[in-house]
Amino acid sequence: MSKVVTLKAFFEEARSGRLTGIRCGRCGEIAIPPKEFCPACQERAWEPVPLDGHGTIASFTVIRVPPRGRAEEAPYAVAVVKLDEGVSLLGRILDIPLDALKVGMPVRFRPLIRDEQTVVAFGPSQ
Amino acid sequence: MRRVAVIGVGVTKFGKHERTCAELFAEAAADAIQDAGVSPRAIQALYYGNVVGGEGERQLHMGPLAASVLGIPTVPTTRFETACATSHAAFRHAVMEIAAGVSDVVLVGGAERVLNLPTDAATEYFAYASDAIFEQPTGITFPGVFALIARAHMAKYGTTEEQMAHVAVKNHRHGALNPKAQFQKEITLEQVMKSAKVADPLKLYDCCPFTDGGAALVVVSEEVARKSRKPVWILSSAAASDSMFLHEKKDLSRVLATERAAQAAYRQGGRGPQDVDVVELHDCFTIAEIVATEGLGFFEPGTGGIAAEKGWTSLGGKLPVNPSGGLKAKGHPIGATGAAQVAEIVIQLRREAGPRQVDGAKVGLVHTLGGNTATVLVSLLSSE
Repeated sequence: MSKVVTLKAFFEEARSGRLTGIRCGRCGEIAIPPKEFCPACQERAWEPVPLDGHGTIASFTVIRVPPRGRAEEAPYAVAVVKLDEGVSLLGRILDIPLDALKVGMPVRFRPLIRDEQTVVAFGPSQ
Repeated sequence: MRRVAVIGVGVTKFGKHERTCAELFAEAAADAIQDAGVSPRAIQALYYGNVVGGEGERQLHMGPLAASVLGIPTVPTTRFETACATSHAAFRHAVMEIAAGVSDVVLVGGAERVLNLPTDAATEYFAYASDAIFEQPTGITFPGVFALIARAHMAKYGTTEEQMAHVAVKNHRHGALNPKAQFQKEITLEQVMKSAKVADPLKLYDCCPFTDGGAALVVVSEEVARKSRKPVWILSSAAASDSMFLHEKKDLSRVLATERAAQAAYRQGGRGPQDVDVVELHDCFTIAEIVATEGLGFFEPGTGGIAAEKGWTSLGGKLPVNPSGGLKAKGHPIGATGAAQVAEIVIQLRREAGPRQVDGAKVGLVHTLGGNTATVLVSLLSSE
């Protein structure tokens, strides 16, 4: 029996500082929810699995021309972070100087909370 | 399956327009129909592409609107949207409809209008082609997505910002030869390198512009094509997808959907990368051209930047890429781009491209990428 982790549940947990992944009960593939079939083996047997939030920057950019409503935040960095469990997440970078960012730099998950919205973000690993 | 050909093309001037998307498309479509030498009455279906008309013009139900403005209001019509690959997706479905024997004459194309919008609003609407829950809230933009790809390519292969700048210089040089291009002016490497940062490491001149414009194609069966002036034959038209989520890309330095679509197009068309004489590919950002020339099999992974630097992809080089000026200089009205790219290859294969003609071109490839590399279409066309 597959246990679905909804987007709502993922972001409620994230708001409290916890990342939730899903692991395939057949092949062990780990993914970020939501998802029905396992992309690796096509089984439908997910189990929630906690992710510890540590990872390294796979790539990053500094956004200097932002979309509407973000002018006051720019410039800011966004990175793809490869988590220690092997899955990746896109997130805003917080509290790391923009000129210190490097591919391979260790970072740690933390939520960026904007009123009702929860945004995936990463700060220094320590 | 039946053979399929393009017998008519129409492209508006690209740049800023004071007309709606439907008007821009209709001008291009009327030109395409006249170029084909068929009656508007011969059109049996219209596949229309547009991306942000819902946001920018508060307009849905765009297919019938486009048909009504064109003056063929009773033709069955459907709107397509696959982000920046929109009208190439529409083209592929038109090809399939004719190959399957459902219709003999299908009009396909698209239009976009964004230069009437504030830049931050257009930037926001384009970002809607990224996931709304995980990605848009981070503040990622379209240049940002390709900046992530650029950084990964630089880290893996040592690709440089100068190599990317060479793509911009080359496409502007080509665009200066295209009277329909938004930018018909050459630029220097120094101008690119000194331009304002948009999303590091991408600078303003690494980015294609916002553009208004329309493009259209008349796609027909072999029976109809045989009666036309200079049919250009479709060898294959293939589509591939990759995960919508940036966090699920297996390798940010590659566009896997490009590789899959290219393999399918080559297999279905019975050709390989060595058979291609001229290419129109999706250079929404300079790094996108570099990665595409690798993914389409023209250059080894990691050497696309060297190819740009050495001039191999220039007019007169071993494989001219984007003789039209590409999205970078010709412009990128996103809903019209795929059809405009096909139109350029048709013009090249008819030997009607004037000063930007690729000598002896017989086989052309069109590559269009949608969104954050989640949709790619590749079509092969031939003059024979």
